[in-house]
Amino acid sequence: MTPKKINNCALVLIVLIAFGVPLVVRSATYLHILILLYMYAYLTTSWNLVGGFAGVLPLGHAAFVGIGAYTSTILSLQYGVSPWLGMIIGGLLAAIVGVIIGKPTFKMRGAYFALATIAFGEGIRVLIENIDYLGPLNFNGPRGLQIPPLDTGLSRFMFEAKEPYYYIILVMLVAVLALTYFISRSKLGFYLNAGGEEPEAAMALGVNVARAKLIAMAMSCFLTALAGTFWAQLTLYIHPKSIISLDLSFEIAFIALIGGRGSIAGPVLGALLLRPVSDFSRIYFGDTVPGLHLIIFGVVLIVVMIYQPRGLQEPLTRAYNRLIHRFFGPQGSGRAA
Amino acid sequence: MNMLEVKQLTKDFGGLRAIDSLDLTIGKQEILGLIGPNGAGKSTAFNCIAGVYAPTMGDVYFEGSRINGQKPWVLCKKGIARTFQIVKPFATKTVLYNVMVGSFANTNKRSEAKEKAMQILEFLQFADKKDIRAGNLTIGDRKRLEIARALATEPKLLLLDEVMAGLRPSEVDELVDMVRRLRQSGITIFVIEHIMRAIMALSDRIVVIHFGRKIAEGSPEKVASDENVIKAYLGGEYVVS
Repeated sequence: MTPKKINNCALVLIVLIAFGVPLVVRSATYLHILILLYMYAYLTTSWNLVGGFAGVLPLGHAAFVGIGAYTSTILSLQYGVSPWLGMIIGGLLAAIVGVIIGKPTFKMRGAYFALATIAFGEGIRVLIENIDYLGPLNFNGPRGLQIPPLDTGLSRFMFEAKEPYYYIILVMLVAVLALTYFISRSKLGFYLNAGGEEPEAAMALGVNVARAKLIAMAMSCFLTALAGTFWAQLTLYIHPKSIISLDLSFEIAFIALIGGRGSIAGPVLGALLLRPVSDFSRIYFGDTVPGLHLIIFGVVLIVVMIYQPRGLQEPLTRAYNRLIHRFFGPQGSGRAA
Repeated sequence: MNMLEVKQLTKDFGGLRAIDSLDLTIGKQEILGLIGPNGAGKSTAFNCIAGVYAPTMGDVYFEGSRINGQKPWVLCKKGIARTFQIVKPFATKTVLYNVMVGSFANTNKRSEAKEKAMQILEFLQFADKKDIRAGNLTIGDRKRLEIARALATEPKLLLLDEVMAGLRPSEVDELVDMVRRLRQSGITIFVIEHIMRAIMALSDRIVVIHFGRKIAEGSPEKVASDENVIKAYLGGEYVVS
């Protein structure tokens, strides 16, 4: 077997196992934890298009989650629009906002870009907290919006059981990973990476760096907003503090940095590692040490940055290759996806 | 028609005039050398031609059309490629990846870009290092990578900014040879260089600038014996009069 074939087999196996999980795991709690894990992996993969490939550090992506969640929820509560359609509309709106924000901020380098995006994210949160009505649209300010679980079913994007949510987010995650894979091998992927590492050299080689970044930003914001709608439909209650919080923006960045920015597997690995920490620390220490998970994240991040600055995907890829090497002989060693 | 025409090019940085009314032309398939003491404005001239800076005054014509103030990526697609004096590899990526970024300038297909990149790497006898991370290359190979990337954009005019600085003499000879082969393949070359042995051997003509002004122009022999040039490099008291 060639290394490519082994990798493909492993990939198909992992996806099949993921699809089979609800047949074994019947507990709603554990399914919910897995759903959140996939959602964060999805969010981080979307973030990665800008934060990883384009080499900047956006820390305001929660705003786009919020735009997605509020758009679909308001449309469905007040106009009866299906959340599926609202999801797309929210995505498009987020993409437009993303481009408007990206245009001036991509000129900034390093920490200044990160600060600008924090300011933008917090600005959106404060804005929505202070708006009860915007024209005919009811934002309900800091109290948030509740989606009454009246008619469930696929067309209303609302289910009594956890399984449908599980499959929806899993499909979304697989799709966004596939998209990332194709982008990373395309001209856009090359241009983003080049522009992120050495913008001047990239420009001299015919790369319109600003344009590539804006395209990536539009896609990233669109995809991020889709997860916002999913989140709203999952919890049936959104308010600015939960869905547009700085914590969320930071957690996405934490997952990416620890897993490995700019790689395809990184965000998934990061989510696999950090989400259980977050959930179980909340379950067991939520009342005694609230916010313990953020402390743990911080420590893990520091350790990873010191010993594996390119994230955990690098040593894990190496270990994976060694394993393949051992079991399938020397011709089996290749690069993992 | 000349490949490149620079007319009365002037570039100010604040109160400093980095280039002062510079005129020069390069014919098709010519190799023009640009020399001058440190800080003479050589790299600034390159940056004005390649679109990094817009000239304060004057005009730049490429193949007869005016290109002042056009962006680097637009000029790259028109056929101007350049290397950087301070090399700027995409350090975490492989050599092949670096070159493919350049070859994507003329195609949207990954397979075509890869094929083109491999051709360039083979032409530069660099193909055996295609899978090495650019950050792990020696300085000589980094300079070679700069040239490979620039060539991958299929330029008509190649601006080489001190690609030989820091190389061993044997490497310099190899590069001189390679630049000659590039010219034979139809590329016009404009080269800044400090290594006199190389630039004297390469150039058809040499332009000398000092404090942003052209002080001499002509064949390598003529320039080397020019009184103003010797004065600029060594100081006035060394001129035998």
